[in-house]
Amino acid sequence: MLSVAARAGPFAPFVSAAAHAVPGPLRPLAPAAAHREHKVPLDLKRPLLCRESLSGRAARGGLVASSSLNAPAGVRCVHNDVAVPDFSAYRRQDVQDANASSQGSSDSRKGFSYLMTAATGVATAYVAKNVVTQFISSLSASADVLALSKIEIKLSDIPEGKNMAFKWRGKPLFVRHRTQAEINQEAGVDLSQLRDPQHDLDRVKKPEWVILVGVCTHLGCVPIANSGDFGGYYCPCHGSHYDASGRIRKGPAPLNLEVPTYQFIGDDTVVVG
Amino acid sequence: MHILGAHSRGTVAPGPRPPQGVTARSAREGATLPQKRFYSLKVAPKVSSSPTAAKVKLSPASQDLEITKLPNGLVIASLENFSPVSRIGVFIKAGSRYETTSNLGTTHLLRLASNLTTKGASSFRITRGIEAVGGSLSVHATRETMAYSVECLRDYVDTVMEYLLNVTTAPEFRPWEVAALQPQLKVDKTIARQNTQVGVLENLHAAAYKNALANPLYCPDYRIGKITSEQLHHFVQNNFTSSRIALVGIGVYHSTLKQVAEQFLNIRSGSGTPGAKAVYKGGEIRKQTGDSLVHAAVVAEGAVVGSPEANAFSVLQYVLGAGPLVKRGSSVTSKLAQGVAKATSQPFDVSAFNVNYSDSGLFGIYTISQAPNAREVIKAALNQVKAVAQGGVTDADVTIAKNQLKANYLMSVETSKGLLNEIGSESLVSGTHTSPSAAAQKIDSVATADVVNAAKKFLSGKKSMAASGDLGNTPFLDEL
Repeated sequence: MLSVAARAGPFAPFVSAAAHAVPGPLRPLAPAAAHREHKVPLDLKRPLLCRESLSGRAARGGLVASSSLNAPAGVRCVHNDVAVPDFSAYRRQDVQDANASSQGSSDSRKGFSYLMTAATGVATAYVAKNVVTQFISSLSASADVLALSKIEIKLSDIPEGKNMAFKWRGKPLFVRHRTQAEINQEAGVDLSQLRDPQHDLDRVKKPEWVILVGVCTHLGCVPIANSGDFGGYYCPCHGSHYDASGRIRKGPAPLNLEVPTYQFIGDDTVVVG
Repeated sequence: MHILGAHSRGTVAPGPRPPQGVTARSAREGATLPQKRFYSLKVAPKVSSSPTAAKVKLSPASQDLEITKLPNGLVIASLENFSPVSRIGVFIKAGSRYETTSNLGTTHLLRLASNLTTKGASSFRITRGIEAVGGSLSVHATRETMAYSVECLRDYVDTVMEYLLNVTTAPEFRPWEVAALQPQLKVDKTIARQNTQVGVLENLHAAAYKNALANPLYCPDYRIGKITSEQLHHFVQNNFTSSRIALVGIGVYHSTLKQVAEQFLNIRSGSGTPGAKAVYKGGEIRKQTGDSLVHAAVVAEGAVVGSPEANAFSVLQYVLGAGPLVKRGSSVTSKLAQGVAKATSQPFDVSAFNVNYSDSGLFGIYTISQAPNAREVIKAALNQVKAVAQGGVTDADVTIAKNQLKANYLMSVETSKGLLNEIGSESLVSGTHTSPSAAAQKIDSVATADVVNAAKKFLSGKKSMAASGDLGNTPFLDEL
């Protein structure tokens, strides 16, 4: 196998064809003939002056062409044709200058960003809460159901001294137009004598109109209006006497007749419930 | 071409360890003078005082060169020398001779396409990955072989091996990547053509052979831009087959390489497309360029790789003169140089040219001369060969030549790169390995008569010639 030894020899520079310098991005591009670093590169335009320049140039063996990556016989192009895009349109004012340090403005930039984030967070939380509650409250009673829970009473239909009963929420509702004498009488009652002490004015909005739930607080019977010992109501089941303000006076009931929430709309109408 | 394998076995005293700054890269393969010796390729055994003591292995794991031939024809060779740098090469019989006229230039593009996307790694990944570990991937192509080699620090062998295997066994040759690479063919060729010798040698082969070896190493101009991805694939499918591949490693374990070869390099079995047998025809090609220097090569058919004739031609080459051995010397031992020096006083250079292929070879002379003197130079050189053929060579001359040849050869396998090439070439051709002592013996066995016969064969053989420059005063073949 020795026959190849002769042509093996140290390869002359020219027989390693395609030996290029690799221009790394940080190194200057070496000329293509630089691989002959121990010889004077042949300048083909200049007439030859001495024999040494030609020494060893004659080919002795076959051609070896080589090409490589990251070794001294490959050409990689330095990508100096790739332009980094100009991002100045996206930069903040403080960091436009590429040569200045960004540390000085970093606090203010961060503060601004955090502030914006916090404000947006708060607004979002508010909106989210509203949206969620709207959706969830839609599960509660609808308007028609709620409407059933109110009753509108025309007051001019009730003469003085008369007690009218309405059905409201399945219960009797007493609306009594009191005379002035009754009002005075009730206002003058001594609270220490009452089982469930409440002043009359605490139980009414307008003194001449008293609105009560007509359910006896003892065991739930419906008291009879304008009867009893105190000029108010008398429950026939167990003998509870209520006065014109609906307060318990005599009998087994423990509490006064319940006063529902009501509201006067104009002069003539009251909405109960 | 490549030298065949030999590594120094303790018969050569190891030189002083070079300082860290000196690396193998600082000496190109192209040094005409003997290269410096670097990290000793073989872990040097301690010299034993007893003459009969067996060679002492420095460490139990220190290994010699191991060669395995797999049943599918793949050859694996490795030398574990515990060097900090590992080199692995895949040598493939897929040189430019295996191209046909319909796909000329494929090997050139293939050579440049070593870092294109593969099935296992993208182009970016290969480039970046190899850069990241500080390795390198190169392709060396000759007319007969393509050698892909990687080198890196020991620790990163797995990484670069993966890339090497991807590149050699599973390239994808994506059409857009191949198209983007075509202009590089032109650049490559232009840079190569800056050396006139490249053009002359290409022309020499084109003139000397009808086919196969006549194919140029560099893509012909009309084919630049026309090489398709399918052609590359086709070439790889047909030529990168297991029986035509040798996997060689220096600084790696044999078991590692074997495992890798069995797992990955088995994918294309068989012997692929057999190349055409090279047919020598002789002829001449002249390129008039108007250069003031004329490069001329006159050759005849030489010897085939591995034949005893080849050794004789090698010795003859050194008898005649194969390049300067002493800087700024006057090539006293070179018969050609001395002969031509008598014919002209102008600067010149002359060398015996010898190249061996697997089925043919070329032997002759290569001259560089001033344009007006070309005739004298070439004629003087040929006269020197004639003188040798007529017996004008002494045993002393032959011995000198043999020593030069031996020294040159042995020093070229001192570096791991040279050794890798050597082992790779030999494994590829024969699947065996010749030790340096065996190689030296073969050189020594060449007799003076063999040398004379070789010279006669050159003189009597049909000649080929290639010339380039201002050829006004350059003789034609029939005038020689």
